[in-house]
Amino acid sequence: MQDSYREIFITESIEYLKNINKCLVRIEKTPSDLDSLNEIFRCVHTLKGMSATMGFDKLTQLSHQMEDLLDELRNQKKRVTSEIIDILFVSTDLLEKLVEEIRLNQPSTLDISEVISSLKETLDKKEEEKKEEKEVIPEPELKDIEFTEEELKVIRNAKAEGFLLFRLKVFLSSECAMKGTRAYLVIINLEKLAKIIKSIPKLEDLEEGKFNLSFILIGLTKHNLEFLRKELMNMVEVEEVIIEEMALTQPSLSSSFQVSPSYIKKIETVRIPVERLDKIMNLMGELIIAKIRLMQLIQYYKIEALEEVAFTLDRLSSSLQDEIMQTRLIPIAYILDTFPRVVRDLAKNKNKEIDLEVIGSGIELDRVILNEIGDPLIHLVRNAVDHGIESPEERKKIGKPPKGKLIIKVLREKGQIFIEVSDDGRGVDFEAVRKVAVEKGLVSKEEADKLDNKSILDLICLPGFSTTKKITDISGRGVGLDVVKSKIDSLGGRLDFESQPNKGTKFILALPLTLAIIKAMLVKVRDEIFAIPLMNIRETIKLDREQIKFLQNFEVIRVRDEIIPLIRLDKEFGLLSHEEEFTKSTNGKISVVIVEYGQKSLGLTVNQILGEQDIVVKPLTSFIKKTKGIAGATVLGDGKVALILDIMSLR
Amino acid sequence: MARIMVVDDALFMRQMLANILKAEGHEICAEASTAKEAVEKYKQFKPDLVTMDIVMPMIEEMDGIGAVEEIMKFDPNAKILIISVMAQHALVLKAMQAGAKDFVVKPFKPSRLIAAINHILSSGEKQK
Repeated sequence: MQDSYREIFITESIEYLKNINKCLVRIEKTPSDLDSLNEIFRCVHTLKGMSATMGFDKLTQLSHQMEDLLDELRNQKKRVTSEIIDILFVSTDLLEKLVEEIRLNQPSTLDISEVISSLKETLDKKEEEKKEEKEVIPEPELKDIEFTEEELKVIRNAKAEGFLLFRLKVFLSSECAMKGTRAYLVIINLEKLAKIIKSIPKLEDLEEGKFNLSFILIGLTKHNLEFLRKELMNMVEVEEVIIEEMALTQPSLSSSFQVSPSYIKKIETVRIPVERLDKIMNLMGELIIAKIRLMQLIQYYKIEALEEVAFTLDRLSSSLQDEIMQTRLIPIAYILDTFPRVVRDLAKNKNKEIDLEVIGSGIELDRVILNEIGDPLIHLVRNAVDHGIESPEERKKIGKPPKGKLIIKVLREKGQIFIEVSDDGRGVDFEAVRKVAVEKGLVSKEEADKLDNKSILDLICLPGFSTTKKITDISGRGVGLDVVKSKIDSLGGRLDFESQPNKGTKFILALPLTLAIIKAMLVKVRDEIFAIPLMNIRETIKLDREQIKFLQNFEVIRVRDEIIPLIRLDKEFGLLSHEEEFTKSTNGKISVVIVEYGQKSLGLTVNQILGEQDIVVKPLTSFIKKTKGIAGATVLGDGKVALILDIMSLR
Repeated sequence: MARIMVVDDALFMRQMLANILKAEGHEICAEASTAKEAVEKYKQFKPDLVTMDIVMPMIEEMDGIGAVEEIMKFDPNAKILIISVMAQHALVLKAMQAGAKDFVVKPFKPSRLIAAINHILSSGEKQK
């Protein structure tokens, strides 16, 4: 049992130790950095708890002793001295060694008693030191002020609007009681006349009275500075105010931990377990079903009085559904942010120079989909770097800039997400693809000459197609493409592709926003109702019986010069009827829904088209999960269950 | 010269405050010993300024903070001076956020109280 946790324990401990070291360095630089102190305390405290649980006594003892000292420091009962920093560094090193021992599974030989006693000693020194060092919080200096980029932006904008940047130092009277509150009041009063950008110490510390008698405020105002000064001087317990205009100096990079943009922190985000979101979504689905049911009843019984209410309910539940959907969405940046690194490594590996541009990474996707598309995207990017973009020398030879360009562009349109991965490399060699296709006997020579973009994509997406060694130009182009395609298809999306020789290749992924609630067309086949995802539907047509032709024993129809195979849903699902009966019931006309999967089209015969509707996808339980042609089920307004067609597996 | 209402649950404090203020020439137009009473009397007398003890027992579900909030709701221009014992930082902050204009810490020197009151009264004039 212990062993299974050991691994986790070690990784986490190392993480904490790293953090402790980082914070110690910060505190050494700025002893008043309370955030870092709190952070160290938290880390050491957690480490202690973890070690105690695992039964690592030495670790527990040492971290416990450190915790005591840190607690004094963070409660400001004790001031941070270089001596204390030193002993903390020594202790941390020892902690590291102890963890290392555990990692190597060695019996512990380290002696921690010396460090522990010096920690204790430092802790006990407290009393005398405290008296000496009280009130030694250094007075802030007007000189040492640095801005962050963000603050600089604000300042520049305000200056452009005629604001004056100033800094002022406020001295409170030494008799001042509750100086924190007084400082707060100074700030409130100043904020009536100016916009405060920054304070030293930071606002939280000011409010808690963690300063000596003076503090510095930096702000923007349109008022006369002397007027500001007088206003503040007017306040009780304010002894002196020094105010001066400030010039913008160049930003220095090292000044990030004194920033506090607002002094009243608001809770802006809440963490919710994903499970709960799923439950909410599920309930939402039930609600929609109930709503549809209600709407149907109202229509059926023609209850006018209820119509308006129902209309409002409909509108509200749609908005609610949208909002809930939003909570499930995560910016695609979540996966795209790792891509610069991936591309850099890949490019370096292949000795290529590549510029990656990511556009639209703020666009949000359902997290289920997000989880699934990471790998396909990496495949596409790898392909582009590996095979699409040429080496710098090659590129120079044909007059391209030596640096290749890779663009990942995300767009959101009509409830769908489009992700384009494009490179400016050599493009797919269509001729080579045709040649291989013919050689492999996939198409005849005549057919090969007529192959369009779509068919080429289908070819290179065939598993194993590209492994052909003969055609080096396209070798690898198909590696993983079959995986990409089937993944996208299984998500109910589409993969498209454009390529021009020497200009580059572009893959386009079209994905649904979410998988839980989709728009579908309800159709009747005999007495059964089926739902066809609207995403897959290209068009619906009515045909005469005579328009159905036979091609090699398969029924096909011709739509605008395109030959489309026909599937009789009633036959497919064993709801068999006699041919005569079928034609009779449709008055000689047959309704056909033309659906698309990947780049292919398929005609489905149905008896009646019922209309469009939002449906809630309920996955099927495992024993009927793999039924061919069925992706799931949904409950209709009247409580009936309708099966959702899986176009992919119908063919 | 202003009309001032004194709010404190201790009679002793009310008297002391009243004496200091009267000596400065101010008029004590009302006194209140609970938060609820303070709100009612504010509405009745509309004083120029209120001194409010922030640490008062919760009576009828209202304490000093509640009183500040209620009065500010009734009269957004109300001028309230908080009187608090040491170390009631959070309470005083709350009162300030609720709209109180300044605070004085007990025990205070009369001069300190007068300075705070004058400051509030004068800043109010400018706003008008």
